[in-house]
Amino acid sequence: MTGASRPAAPRPVELPRILGDIHPRPRWTETRLLLVVAVALVVGSISLGAGLTGRLAPYEPTLLVIYLVTLAGAHVANVLAGRRSDEVLLPVVGLLGGISLLLMQRLPQDLVTIDVAGSTLGLGAVQLIWLVLAIIVATTLGIVVRSDSWLRQYKYTWAAAGIALLLLTFVFGTDVAGQRLSLRIGPFAGQPSELLKVILVVFLAGYLSENRSLLIEQDTRIGPIRLPPLPYLAPMVAMWAIALLIVVVQRDLGAALLFFAVFLALVYAATGRISLVVIGAILFFAGSALMANIFPHVRDRIDIWLDPFADPLGSGYQVVQSLLAFARGGLIGVGLGEGLPTVGGRPPIPEVHTDFPLAALGEELGLVGVIAILGLFFVVIERGLRIGAAAADDFRAILATGLALVVGVQAFIIAAGNLKVLPLTGVTLPFVSYGGSSLLVNAIVVGLLLALSDRGVEPPPPPSGVRRWRDRLRPRRAR
Amino acid sequence: MLVTGTRKRPLGRTIVHVAVVLALAFGVLAGAGGYWAVVRSSDLSQSPYDPAVIAASRRVPRGDIIDRDGNVLTHNEKDANGELYRSYSGDEISHVVGYASPRYGRVGLELAYDAELSGLAGDPLADALRKFGTNPYDPKDLHLSMSWDLQRASVSALGSHRGAVVMLDPRNGEVLALASTPTYDASAITNPATADRAFQSLRDDAAQPLLPRATLGRYVPGSVFKIVTAIAGLGSRAITPDTTYKEQPPAEKDGLLVEGFRIRDGHHPQTGDALLDLTSATEVSCNIWYALTGLETGGEQLVAYADRLGFGSSIPFDLPTAPSQVTNESGSAPGGFVDDVELANAAYGQGETFVTPFQMALVASTIANGGDLMKPRIVTSISGRNGSRQIGPSPMAHVLAPNDAAAINRAMVRAVEGPLGRQFTTGAKVPGVTTAGKSGTAELGGRGEPHSWFIGFAPAESPTVAIAVLVEQAGRGAEVAAPIAGRLLAKALETQR
Amino acid sequence: MDAPLLMVWVVRLLFLALLYFFLARVVRSLLTDLRAAARQPGASLGRLIVVDSPSGDPEAGRSFDLDAITTLGRDVNNAIVVEDPFASAEHAVLTYRGRGWYVEDLGSTNGTFVNGRAIASVAPLGFGDEVSIGQVRLRLERARSA
Repeated sequence: MTGASRPAAPRPVELPRILGDIHPRPRWTETRLLLVVAVALVVGSISLGAGLTGRLAPYEPTLLVIYLVTLAGAHVANVLAGRRSDEVLLPVVGLLGGISLLLMQRLPQDLVTIDVAGSTLGLGAVQLIWLVLAIIVATTLGIVVRSDSWLRQYKYTWAAAGIALLLLTFVFGTDVAGQRLSLRIGPFAGQPSELLKVILVVFLAGYLSENRSLLIEQDTRIGPIRLPPLPYLAPMVAMWAIALLIVVVQRDLGAALLFFAVFLALVYAATGRISLVVIGAILFFAGSALMANIFPHVRDRIDIWLDPFADPLGSGYQVVQSLLAFARGGLIGVGLGEGLPTVGGRPPIPEVHTDFPLAALGEELGLVGVIAILGLFFVVIERGLRIGAAAADDFRAILATGLALVVGVQAFIIAAGNLKVLPLTGVTLPFVSYGGSSLLVNAIVVGLLLALSDRGVEPPPPPSGVRRWRDRLRPRRAR
Repeated sequence: MLVTGTRKRPLGRTIVHVAVVLALAFGVLAGAGGYWAVVRSSDLSQSPYDPAVIAASRRVPRGDIIDRDGNVLTHNEKDANGELYRSYSGDEISHVVGYASPRYGRVGLELAYDAELSGLAGDPLADALRKFGTNPYDPKDLHLSMSWDLQRASVSALGSHRGAVVMLDPRNGEVLALASTPTYDASAITNPATADRAFQSLRDDAAQPLLPRATLGRYVPGSVFKIVTAIAGLGSRAITPDTTYKEQPPAEKDGLLVEGFRIRDGHHPQTGDALLDLTSATEVSCNIWYALTGLETGGEQLVAYADRLGFGSSIPFDLPTAPSQVTNESGSAPGGFVDDVELANAAYGQGETFVTPFQMALVASTIANGGDLMKPRIVTSISGRNGSRQIGPSPMAHVLAPNDAAAINRAMVRAVEGPLGRQFTTGAKVPGVTTAGKSGTAELGGRGEPHSWFIGFAPAESPTVAIAVLVEQAGRGAEVAAPIAGRLLAKALETQR
Repeated sequence: MDAPLLMVWVVRLLFLALLYFFLARVVRSLLTDLRAAARQPGASLGRLIVVDSPSGDPEAGRSFDLDAITTLGRDVNNAIVVEDPFASAEHAVLTYRGRGWYVEDLGSTNGTFVNGRAIASVAPLGFGDEVSIGQVRLRLERARSA
């Protein structure tokens, strides 16, 4: 944010500008909330120590200290940068990340190991590295991004990049547990569908904001149904096809559900047409039903969902163990470090660190803890949607809404899978699950929301600026 | 007129809609969390698939199962690895107590009361407080109404026969003995050293020793079912104790013709052309009189009264029971009978009628208790660290008016003690005690010897024991089951004294 | 229950309590934001009621909810289309700046009037003021509390 005296009209093309003149601005809300986060995490660490070692002392405090120092650093950077961005997002996401750190410290450390410089890092340490990187990415984006035109103007480029990423995964992806999700470039392996969801939102924000009037105003009548002009439905059909393709080729039900749900929600937010959502949902369910008939793995997932107790030691094992974990936890949980009775030295739920962190937390923190965590996610959603609603123009409104939805819907899908509300799909719980690509992509989301929130609170340009503003955005047609 | 709206609505409102939908979705998640973590918590926390339960079963001793005389029937022992396993006091109790094996699961009371015995069950308050205690498990002891002594006597009375004995106290529904033969050594299944071999050979045994015949075996009842017919006839007012049928004496010569089917009887040499009423027909076990009574009562009432006695569904009890049936309801006649032939046959216990010995003991118990059926139970109290919970008597059904029950009671006394009854039913009489009963010989349609049945109670004036005895394919009921019942009734009365 | 275990449970419940304390603090700051937003642009800022419209488009009595920037004129791309022979294609723009409304004439042929007086280029607009564009008269009113 430059000084209030200068007109703050968005420049058409403005590449990310590194800090020029620094005008520090205190962020007292963020400071206070981060202090609460720090106290809560220290208490959580003591609770974990009591559970794992029997002594009332923080459990392996070094990792937590590094994490808290990183959060403090992010806060100081925000203050120095002096932007008027949202002050709630960082503490909320920081608390979720801290809970993630406690959970990863608590799980068997050999679930993930990386050898660095002769020493072996376990699950907790590796997750800490990703968390620190994620905070750096989010804060940097939140400070540095001062223009959205690099997103706005190249939406078809982004779309092409997304599709290319998808195709690369189809062709070169490696199969993990029957799902083709992982893309390996040199030493780095990542899940492109994580990045794809952000690209999708950027594209949709560009497309929908540009064609919003047309989608709202014009009608094609098919019998009693009023639809927007058919050519404008093409992206919808394309989205549907991509979602189904992901199901078929990647066997990634979760990503398909996420993409399509976010897509429909954004179409509704932009057009207010419930008919589009209904038609889209019908198309999706019809496609899913067809898939269920053709592809046994989809059918299996649905059968497991309907009755996991039918085969509690086989296909239903994960879900049954997840539900049993919630049941053991009860209302207030058994305490950090006290739950997850091992089976042959392993945690009872396979893939607990990526797919079932909520079940593990449900056991150790109880229903009370689960609802608090769901509350934290809802705060992230609320922030994002408010940033969207307050945004100065349609592109930013839809972009912020979409970014909030990507986090919120994904959290919903995996939480619902853990709780047998939806079929289990292998998406991660944002900010909590172990995993580099998940954390970094969600950090990008938070960073963009922070950047957008700054513009969101900015008042519109003064009357004399309106004409220039209009001229730049929409070249006047010759009369 | 006020029309709100510009050409292009602001996005705010639709974003609010999206927020509301997401809020509802997260509300659903919180609800689901509440369902699994609170509503289903205590139920799921006892799941045998729960690793906590599996771990606990290896180190937390299970509660004891104790008979009515204070004999402890179960023991916890340690195997070579220091893990606990169960052993049991004797083979006779296996069909009641069952077994709890990590490899072959749980059966019997060990299954039905697994949560209590393993110490996982508790009221919600105790569950919540359990976390704060150092010992989270509170295994509870089961106290049974069953007498190990009577149970042993029952099994030895059946000897090498396949069969079942059920004894209960008609006044309060307490089960005194629930024996099935052949039985098996449950300790061999729970002992890790012998488990595999023992279980294999038991499962492959053609005599089906693992089948609890008393509760899960379904048999043709034969004449013991006549008591059900009498209950339905008197209860529905279709007959009175004095009802006679003029077609009965002539029909005894070449059978009673029902829609082309002849129902025959064998007591004509003793009764001649006498018109029989309830008492005398029961004394000589007259098939024709009961067939006519069944037709008089009608299929609908017969099935309705049987259902009051517990037929048609599993009997509510501590152990699983097979449902008994009057007919398999394949027909369209009232009650589900195919035709009058099936109804007439069912009325004297043939037809498509199949019953468990346990069900027939309840029939005897109903008459013994003046027409009121008490809910059967074998566990009378559950005691744990924090005191004990009594499971007292409760009525299951009011079946019959007391005077009607008294009439059937008198008829059953005659069937055991009457001049002709003594010839038909030998050995059921308890010396010095008025004994009521009814024997049965269940024809299997030419497939070997008939099943031998006896149901009864004593003392007839104020019954304290009701009994049902079934011996598979042992011949006439009067000759095999009745003497067994007599001996066991005598022993039961002796122990009660 | 022994004392060390009691302490452990105090810590555990304290952790859960802190999670909710944090949520409560967050909700409080969100509500503060919400109240601030009510005073700021973003929500409905005001509405324009058509007082008189000889051509009938827009019809008299109609009410328009206003965005922070609302354009008026004969061209269909305007937020409020004024179908009047004396209106220019792009006639005027209403903007909300800080705490008040301004109207700006976009170089129209026949000018823009506030309460009957022609404006030079930009003029502040109060609630209850009437704006005339051609023969169409519109009144600025407060947004209905929503």
